[in-house]
Amino acid sequence: MLGEFEYLLITAASRLGDDAYGAAIRQEIESTARRKCSIGALYTTIERLEGKGLISTWMGESTPERGGRAKRMVRVTGKGARAAKEFYDAMMRVSRGASWAVNQTGDTSR
Amino acid sequence: MSPAWSLVEVAARPLNREERDAILGDSLEAGENTWQALCGVLGLIARRQLLLWKSWRPWLSVFGFGIPCTVLLMAVSMSVTCTFDRLMGFKVSHWAPTGHEGFTLLLCHIFLLIAWSWTTGFTLGSLSPRTLWVNASLGGFLAFFFARHLLDMLGVSRFAPFLFLLPAIWGIRQSLRGIRLSFRPAVLLATTMAVLMTAAWTNEALWLPNWLLIIPALFLVATRSGMPGTGEASARVSQAR
Repeated sequence: MLGEFEYLLITAASRLGDDAYGAAIRQEIESTARRKCSIGALYTTIERLEGKGLISTWMGESTPERGGRAKRMVRVTGKGARAAKEFYDAMMRVSRGASWAVNQTGDTSR
Repeated sequence: MSPAWSLVEVAARPLNREERDAILGDSLEAGENTWQALCGVLGLIARRQLLLWKSWRPWLSVFGFGIPCTVLLMAVSMSVTCTFDRLMGFKVSHWAPTGHEGFTLLLCHIFLLIAWSWTTGFTLGSLSPRTLWVNASLGGFLAFFFARHLLDMLGVSRFAPFLFLLPAIWGIRQSLRGIRLSFRPAVLLATTMAVLMTAAWTNEALWLPNWLLIIPALFLVATRSGMPGTGEASARVSQAR
């Protein structure tokens, strides 16, 4: 099963779609999860997820605001999407009945 | 580009070019200052190094080969220097590590020193190239200890314990350049070393712990034994690093 940060990264990359690359994913994680995301944590996790076949990466275009440096683009693979769905379902199930999860049925199959 | 940013660029050198581009570009795009970018780069490099140590390879490289072989090779280097001095008629200390051997056994020892050093260097370079700096740092510390505490007592040159360095660095460089030792040359090298060590041993010119110095050569034979002569076994080994 995925780790928490792996799930955050895959979800952020999935939300960003074709615009998913290092800086954008980092910003997405920091703004939605409201937690600090270091470059070290981001890139070691990207490497690990790529090694597991859950994401694929390639070098993209460079832009002036990046000082002419290329982006490392990220795409979630089918296997990665299934792993994220499994994590999400497990979190929903385990949260059922918890006081902070009122009105949550935990049923994601609908 | 500010001069301070050059520091970040230098710190990012250990990363490969594409990764360096991506990370420094991300830092610039996020508007990070030099300090934040430097912490990010150093944090990534530190994490990478820590992850390397989850494998058995760096541990074997440092504690199985690096430290024990460095100590033994420094002792052999001193012994060769002192024996040479004695045979050439130079004054050697009473404590100097030299035996009764003549020129023939000295030549045998010189060949063995080169072979032991080269195989150790080659093995270290093949096993875990990204943690070689740990071997180098610990080797430097041992050298400092040797030079500080033993050399004055033995009355030998400060360079004497480091004769092994050149062939060892040669071995490391060859493995880092991707040169692969196939099965047959590895067996030939290990056999030659074993024969010469036996000859030295029977002439009471080999210290018992020096038998450990054949282990890197045997390791090279073992890791190349999968597919004789093709070098594919070594290719597998390097992929697994």
